[in-house]
Amino acid sequence: MPILNRRLWRMVVSGKGQFAALVSVVMLGVTIYISMTTAYLNLYRSQQAFYQQCHFADYFFSVVKAPQDITTRIETLPGVVAADSRIQKDVSFLRPDGGRGTLRLTSYQLPMDRQLNQLVLLNGRMFSTEPSNMPEILVDPQFAKGLDLEPGAVLDVVAGGKIVHLRVTGTATSPEFVYPMKDASSIIPLPGEFGIAMVPYKQAEQILNLQGQVNQISLQLAPGTNEDEIKQAVNNILATYGNLAAYSRDGQLSHVVLKTELQQLRVMSRFLPFLFFTIAAGMQFLLLGRMIRLQRSSIGIMKALGYDNRSIITHYVSYAVLVSLSGALLGSVLGIGLAVLLSDTYAMYFSLPSNIGAINYRAIIYSFLITLGVGVASGVLGCRGVIRIQPAESMRSAAPVRGSHILLERLPWLWERLNSSWKMGLRSTSRNKTRFTIMATGVAASVILLMLGFFMQDAIDYMMLQHFEKEGLYDYLIHFSSPIKENDLAYWQQWGEVAELEPVLEIPVSVSIADSSGAQCEDDVLQGLKQGSWMQGVFSPSGQRLSIPDDGVLLSAKSAKKLKVPVGGHIQVESKMDLGPGHTMTLKVVGVSQQLMGGGSYVSLQTANRLVGESAMLTAVMVKINPSQSAAFETRLRDLTSITSIVSRDKEKANFQELLKSAIFSIVFMVLFAGILALAIAYNASLMNYNERKNELGLLRVLGYTNGEIRGVLLKEIGLQSLIGVIIGMPLGKWVANYYIATSATTDMYAMPAVIYPRTYFFVAIAAVIFLVTGFALITPRLARLDLVETLKNWD
Amino acid sequence: MDKPLLMRMDNVSKQYHMGEIVVDALQPSCLDIYAGELIVVLGPSGSGKSTLLNLMGGMDRSSGGRIIFGNREISAAGDGELTSFRRERVGFVFQFYNLIPDLTAYENVALAASLIKDPMPVSAVLSEVGLAQRANHFPAQLSGGEQQRVSIARAIVKKPPLLLCDEPTGALDFQTGISILALLRQITTTIGSTVIIVTHNTAIAAMADRVVRMRSGIIAEISYNETPLDPERIEW
Repeated sequence: MPILNRRLWRMVVSGKGQFAALVSVVMLGVTIYISMTTAYLNLYRSQQAFYQQCHFADYFFSVVKAPQDITTRIETLPGVVAADSRIQKDVSFLRPDGGRGTLRLTSYQLPMDRQLNQLVLLNGRMFSTEPSNMPEILVDPQFAKGLDLEPGAVLDVVAGGKIVHLRVTGTATSPEFVYPMKDASSIIPLPGEFGIAMVPYKQAEQILNLQGQVNQISLQLAPGTNEDEIKQAVNNILATYGNLAAYSRDGQLSHVVLKTELQQLRVMSRFLPFLFFTIAAGMQFLLLGRMIRLQRSSIGIMKALGYDNRSIITHYVSYAVLVSLSGALLGSVLGIGLAVLLSDTYAMYFSLPSNIGAINYRAIIYSFLITLGVGVASGVLGCRGVIRIQPAESMRSAAPVRGSHILLERLPWLWERLNSSWKMGLRSTSRNKTRFTIMATGVAASVILLMLGFFMQDAIDYMMLQHFEKEGLYDYLIHFSSPIKENDLAYWQQWGEVAELEPVLEIPVSVSIADSSGAQCEDDVLQGLKQGSWMQGVFSPSGQRLSIPDDGVLLSAKSAKKLKVPVGGHIQVESKMDLGPGHTMTLKVVGVSQQLMGGGSYVSLQTANRLVGESAMLTAVMVKINPSQSAAFETRLRDLTSITSIVSRDKEKANFQELLKSAIFSIVFMVLFAGILALAIAYNASLMNYNERKNELGLLRVLGYTNGEIRGVLLKEIGLQSLIGVIIGMPLGKWVANYYIATSATTDMYAMPAVIYPRTYFFVAIAAVIFLVTGFALITPRLARLDLVETLKNWD
Repeated sequence: MDKPLLMRMDNVSKQYHMGEIVVDALQPSCLDIYAGELIVVLGPSGSGKSTLLNLMGGMDRSSGGRIIFGNREISAAGDGELTSFRRERVGFVFQFYNLIPDLTAYENVALAASLIKDPMPVSAVLSEVGLAQRANHFPAQLSGGEQQRVSIARAIVKKPPLLLCDEPTGALDFQTGISILALLRQITTTIGSTVIIVTHNTAIAAMADRVVRMRSGIIAEISYNETPLDPERIEW
């Protein structure tokens, strides 16, 4: 049917604005779907391939120290496929600027082919295992980049009370270091401050004075193995060697971060395209239905000529199919481009050996199928009314529009105050409920997207405020390689740089419900702080500040939830610190603490010391320094060999702000997508309204209404559906944000806040109004060009 | 004519350009219109009578000549000035009523009333056209004649000096048409508007004070009725 195709093409050209608006909505949905599913699949496949290739362990155990051959006993346990042991210890290294950082020395045996958690060389060459006075190491790529380390560079570390020189031979990665993290509270990357050093076992045992010893065991389990039973059995074997921690892969820090990112991608890749496709379906249904109603006489002529219903339906459905195909094609191209961008962004933060950058053909095919299905369905549904009419009837004028009274008229005190244009708008809205609903839903969808975008900024602002201005008020947090006494820090007080010090005693513990014979226990970290501590703010899950108790414990929310311990209940705490025999203590839970990042359970310094049978002992210190004394303070610390790590709050904040730059990227995209959607909706709604009421608008001009006044007539109806859309969209947007947080942005390590500041509602409303008014403004030139004579001639 | 001059059309012409074709819808024509008179513009389809009406009402722009209303030259007026002219000086009645479907009869009339400072009371106007009982009905609930009455009420609520009617009885049956014509005649005395009726129905010419006959875009003849017929006595 070439003539009908020609007609189809003319319909597209004559209504190109409307066509473009429809295509843009479909295109956005396809772009988001393809880019996010592709990024998700690529990241997931990279992760899975890497884990499999390098035999990522299923379980990890930390002990004080155990003989290297301890794995022989563990491998005999049913369900254990393989067991590896190694040394892993944090040491401090000397930065080129004179400061200190932390290096996690991790040992590896060569050859590596049967090991768990194998390395993949990224750059340079593998280290040599030959004895040397300058041991060779590999480092993680972010660390190398942070310090501009090239193969051949030398790093000085402080280990065993002396400075050791290490030669860097290249960079490498491993499944457990895809996202290198110092600890649960250090989710913010610290390039150049913290890194992983991979070292041959022989060298590690020399550097750290652990000959024939290991302090970490990792296991590979057979599928279907009961992990709790294995954990119990291995803990029993390791009991005499000082159990410190035991966690599955799901508790491994790097894996948690990567898994969370994948979850977020997955949630977004389903929710956002669904939103766009739904709106696109609604808009196509409305517009096609309207187009067909307006062309009823043409349809009658085609029928009179002998075209059957199938041909006519195919002709109009082709318009919808053309919209779908155009949107899907453009969206596929943009989606692939955006996927590359997303994958590159991930490559900046995740050290995967190779990013699988395949084109997700399945997603592309699904996009085409979904959009075609939407197009065909909306076309067929739009056609059905007219197709039933006989040719003669469809060539007659349509029945006149039937105005009717609406509910609002039952409030005469309000109704009488409304002018004619309000009355027209309200009655027209009431008459076109389907159209109003679909358009208001579209506006609501746009508002939801805006809320999601702006909410991310609120979450970031809140995290900055909470983490850097409420939870951690120190300038430096310094960890020592082994516990020291408070008196040992007395001379620090005499340093001119130091304004104040607060000691910290951190004890890895195992927590269980008191009198439960340890049926269920959780690993936790007990932080002993001095009462009245102001440098470390401790908060409840509801954000209330908590005081360090004299007795009792502020239990971490994670442990409280897993053990189901209420406030007022009692727990048994067992120290896993390497200070002689294990100590236990029963403590009353006087509150529940939840820090934004990391955190643990909090007790007074005295309580912590009592647990380990000591007094005035500490493992770390928080320092407040006098203004502008950072450089001088760090110089002092340079010469202290007992320090393992130095965390500078300022540097941490700067790194966080750097990390957040990529979040701005997401926010901008979200706002952009919301804007395009709102524009498309406003434009189409305004156009539909204008076309349907052209005669009325012409009449109003004849009566003497100005262009501005008839603009107001149209704007009222658009404004009403926009207002409803905004009112519905805001709480829905908040709900979606909360859902997003709950399903993909809350882990044991950090809790992204579901915070939406009041200003966000204001900004969202303003942004929505701007986009909607812009969409409306695109059709206002038509009002000025109204041919009064022609519109009145075509009144019937 | 001893009535004051309301509008002068001086060599007014109108051409339409349709691609390469130029259509002379109205050749240079002169016509003076006086206050309070009833003029019937008669002519077959395509004679230019509707074009003449549209130019009088400021709905279209002339290609040549001058149109002066009072002391304003509306042929040279800008868009804003033409809008004001239509708002304050002109009422329109169309063949197909052109009522807003989402407004009741009362509201359709109020729509026009709200445009000026001192309109006639809407209820009074509806009573005048015999539709007081139907004020709260929508156009779809009214007969053709009733809709045309609402249209007339809407036109006269502004007390326009000039009331332009384009085939006002074209869509109505005979009896209803007569009643509409009677109403229009009444308006020239009750409100004092000049009523101009464009029609192809020669029988209606009998009620006019003056008859303007048009043919092929030219005013062929202007004649006076010494004794205009009562609309009730018109037959067609």
